[in-house]
Amino acid sequence: MSGPTFNRRTFVKGAGYGAAALALGVPAFIPRLGEAADAIKIGVLEPYTGTYAYPGENETIGIQMAIDAWNKRGGVLGRQIEIVKEDEQSKPDVAAQKASKLVNQDKCVALIGTVSSASSLSVQAKSHEMNVLFFASGGHTDDVTGSKCTWNTFRTCHSTWMEAHATAYTLAKQFGKRFYFITPDYAYGHALQTAFDDVIKQIGGTTAGTDLTPLGTTDFSSVLTKVTPAKPDVLVVLVQGDDYTNCMKQADSFGLLKKFPVGGPQVELEPLYGLAPEARTGYWGIEWSYSSDVCLGKGNNAAHQFVKDYFAHYLNTQKKPPTARQCFGYVSMDRMLAGMAAAKSTDSVKVARAIEGEKFQSIFADGGYYRKEDHQLMWPMWVAKLRPNGTPSDPNDLFDVVAKHDAASIEQSVAEKAKICKMAYPA
Amino acid sequence: MLEHAGPQIFNGLVLGAFYAIVAIGLSLIMNLTGTINMAHGSFMTLAGYLAFAMIARGTNFWFAFLAAPIIAVLIAVIVERTLIRPLYGRDPVYSLLLTFGLSLIAEEVFHVIWGANTLPFAPPASLSGTLALGFMNFPVYRLFIVAVLVLAFAALAFFLYYTRFGLRLRAAVQDTEMIAALGTNTQLLYTINFGLGILLAGIAGVLAVGLLGLNPTTGNTLLMPAFVTVIIGGMGSLYGSIIGGILIGLATSLMTLYVPAASEVIIYVLMAIVLTIRPRGLFGEEGLFG
Amino acid sequence: MSRGRIFVLAAIALLALEPVMAPYIRVDVTIVSAALLFTIAAMSANLLLGYTGLPPFGNAAFFGLGAYGCALSIKYLNVHFITATLFGMVAALLGALIVAPFLVRRRGIYFGLLSIAFGQVFYFIAYRFTDVTGGEDGMAVPRPYLVVSAFTFKETTFYYLSLAVFIISIVIFKLIVQSPFGRTLVAIRQNELRVRYLGLDSNRFVFVAILISALFAGLSGALSAMLNGFIAPLSLDWHQSGDFVLATILGGSGTVWGPLIGSLIYEIGRDIISTITPYWQIFLGALFVACVLGFPRGILGTILARVGAAPLSNEPEEANWTQSPAIVADHRG
Repeated sequence: MSGPTFNRRTFVKGAGYGAAALALGVPAFIPRLGEAADAIKIGVLEPYTGTYAYPGENETIGIQMAIDAWNKRGGVLGRQIEIVKEDEQSKPDVAAQKASKLVNQDKCVALIGTVSSASSLSVQAKSHEMNVLFFASGGHTDDVTGSKCTWNTFRTCHSTWMEAHATAYTLAKQFGKRFYFITPDYAYGHALQTAFDDVIKQIGGTTAGTDLTPLGTTDFSSVLTKVTPAKPDVLVVLVQGDDYTNCMKQADSFGLLKKFPVGGPQVELEPLYGLAPEARTGYWGIEWSYSSDVCLGKGNNAAHQFVKDYFAHYLNTQKKPPTARQCFGYVSMDRMLAGMAAAKSTDSVKVARAIEGEKFQSIFADGGYYRKEDHQLMWPMWVAKLRPNGTPSDPNDLFDVVAKHDAASIEQSVAEKAKICKMAYPA
Repeated sequence: MLEHAGPQIFNGLVLGAFYAIVAIGLSLIMNLTGTINMAHGSFMTLAGYLAFAMIARGTNFWFAFLAAPIIAVLIAVIVERTLIRPLYGRDPVYSLLLTFGLSLIAEEVFHVIWGANTLPFAPPASLSGTLALGFMNFPVYRLFIVAVLVLAFAALAFFLYYTRFGLRLRAAVQDTEMIAALGTNTQLLYTINFGLGILLAGIAGVLAVGLLGLNPTTGNTLLMPAFVTVIIGGMGSLYGSIIGGILIGLATSLMTLYVPAASEVIIYVLMAIVLTIRPRGLFGEEGLFG
Repeated sequence: MSRGRIFVLAAIALLALEPVMAPYIRVDVTIVSAALLFTIAAMSANLLLGYTGLPPFGNAAFFGLGAYGCALSIKYLNVHFITATLFGMVAALLGALIVAPFLVRRRGIYFGLLSIAFGQVFYFIAYRFTDVTGGEDGMAVPRPYLVVSAFTFKETTFYYLSLAVFIISIVIFKLIVQSPFGRTLVAIRQNELRVRYLGLDSNRFVFVAILISALFAGLSGALSAMLNGFIAPLSLDWHQSGDFVLATILGGSGTVWGPLIGSLIYEIGRDIISTITPYWQIFLGALFVACVLGFPRGILGTILARVGAAPLSNEPEEANWTQSPAIVADHRG
């Protein structure tokens, strides 16, 4: 079967050999650029490909901003800080392998990052095995500071329980107590549903219906057609990310958004920018906002400076204002480095003990602290009404903050947590 | 619960129509050359991004709707001539793997050019809103999709059955050796066939981003249901793709009503049943793939 | 000593020295462990694809069953290393026993598609039943004891463990494919009709091949779960199956050592490139394309063909009687 394809074949073959040879030889010749021998290395594990690439990139920006701020002040313990980034691809097995690589090969003293809950749990387990500090900046599942809590892991973003409780009360107060749920049919959705059910029991509300949408649902039409006959006071959308965008877009196309108030436990700017303005409506839990003093804190210079710095350095390339993800990355890295400075060491146990329970002020209102018992960051959560087109001066400013809930009122108490979280430091 | 079934059935039919458009393109490509195009979703996404880019520059939706698929076809023709042609005559596994590789490249290229975040894409005002249908309010956009399907199928049927070129295409599926002996340029035929399949993918892609968000992975989520549609409807039968699509749409919708947890996996269960009992599908030709 | 044997010994020596070389070549031990375990899964795909001629796009399900079987046995029964691995393999075997009766009735691309369908059903089960499997959040898998706890708990010793398991696996694999059973599989791939005419029940051979394939995949899954300390449903998705098939074809399907080469390139290559650039998927995709177009025999297969030593099972799949007659006629020159 030889013939006219001979030339192309040999070319492809030659290219293939060449590429293979290059690939095998390359790693030996890559210097890690700017490797200062004395720097403190922190491993950053974020998704840079796949569905969560956008939040992953945003978290990394926040992390970088914190590092830049500390390095300008002379670093920590007299040493500059460097990050080593790895793409964990939202795959928990890759995350675990990269975590191991960052600690064993790149000699990172601590790990930070992750967006998807599975990756957060995976890195938590791996880092615990290696006795290395890990800041789960962006994975929301309750288990990270619940049944799977570990001494070496601190979680910055709000837990699923907090999200549900922050919004449920506001929605009930605003619209009424008859809820219709669109719930993703996996761990995250179930956890949110349980938390919402808890609130409904407390306020004496009713569930007009619950639709579990399984993994991979891109078309919500079958679910959305069931909403109207159920006559709820408010449609509660628990799906996240791309599913959120699809669901809201389709809800709008069915005219549901004009008929029923809509809300949910958490929304992020990232998926909202993917929606046309008509679909940006409702009352949602938000974890931070760059524009509102209710979130940043009146007179909080650090917060306002952070936003200013971001606009100065990143707005041109990113084209969008900072989101809660930048906040998670920044706060996580900032507090990790502060912990190292306070402990005068990079030893994970000493740093963990220095961080837990310490109250601090940061780029959000009222300050917060990582609770000693479960290492959850106790900070406020807010509820915002969406502005479809932002404000006249800033079309990206979609959050009109209407309520603030402090952490104690929305998270499980220490006593309740003690039943599921058993944390043990190494002997 | 039966009063809910009405809207669900209607919804399922419309959903099925959409899957059918994707499936027909896939089926065309498979029938003639045995090429399994795992990059079909990528071409859909490509058309979606092209339409987005055109609209962002000020063209109106209708122009973009027609132009984007055509540009996608041009790119497809280049791909077919350089990458897919060498695989004709080899086991379908190779085309599957090669096009899978292409889909990985495409997803990353979209990421580089347009970013990882979902881009806002709204259908034009004339297609927004709902139509009161008595038993439910139904989005105009989805009815538009049905209209497009009907038009596309009619156009395809006309092309295949009433033009000389279509005649050659049908003849080639039956017996390529003979038609080559009769003087037809079969290589050109393969290219045009591929282009036709991608044209349909492009149209489906622009339609899809009105329903779903536009990001590098949009088309891939529709790929599996489309494959399942082709298998159930029958490889080798374009008519089967429509019936298959409707079946899948109905199955998904009705499952949402009765057993919501299974509404996404039901298509795989159906696929397994069809492949076990009657692998050629409902309307497929015997022995096409052994 | 033949050239082949020299290469094999050199490869094993290199692998044995990896932990020492790691800081210099910048390839972490954990990644190579993962690559070796990945090879075992690729071997499972190789048995079906290269030797029997059936594209196995559902092997990730057996891989996942192995992983979850292992994880659940550790969680609920607190077993140690070997028992946990066996649990995983048995789970995979049970899964194979359920689907194999359906799979044996199909060949070619229908086999592949049916395996995808079954794979997705298992994926769905792993995802949906959160109470058992942890669902989308996955399950942590603490490493159990093997003789001495230190054996499994350190990365380097786990690496040697993986290497040992790999060597045993490949020896068993070689024995299988060089046995009469294995050669019958190749015969089935070349011309099943003739095999039947010779009086052999080809379906039974395929059935057993599926079971063996599942055992290998389950072994790989169980060990991978313990390596990563974690298992999530994504490991059962058909993309994962596709990765196993790719590694096999890349290295050379139908050869014994091909999957190793393919897996090393795939896993290590992916790790290195993803560290350099977030756009690593372009290179991966380009590798797929180049491999299919330029190296249909795979890297090892092409090398062996050059020296005239390529096994029969390494022939690139040409269109055979199961292909569309139109294409066959047109391209038989």
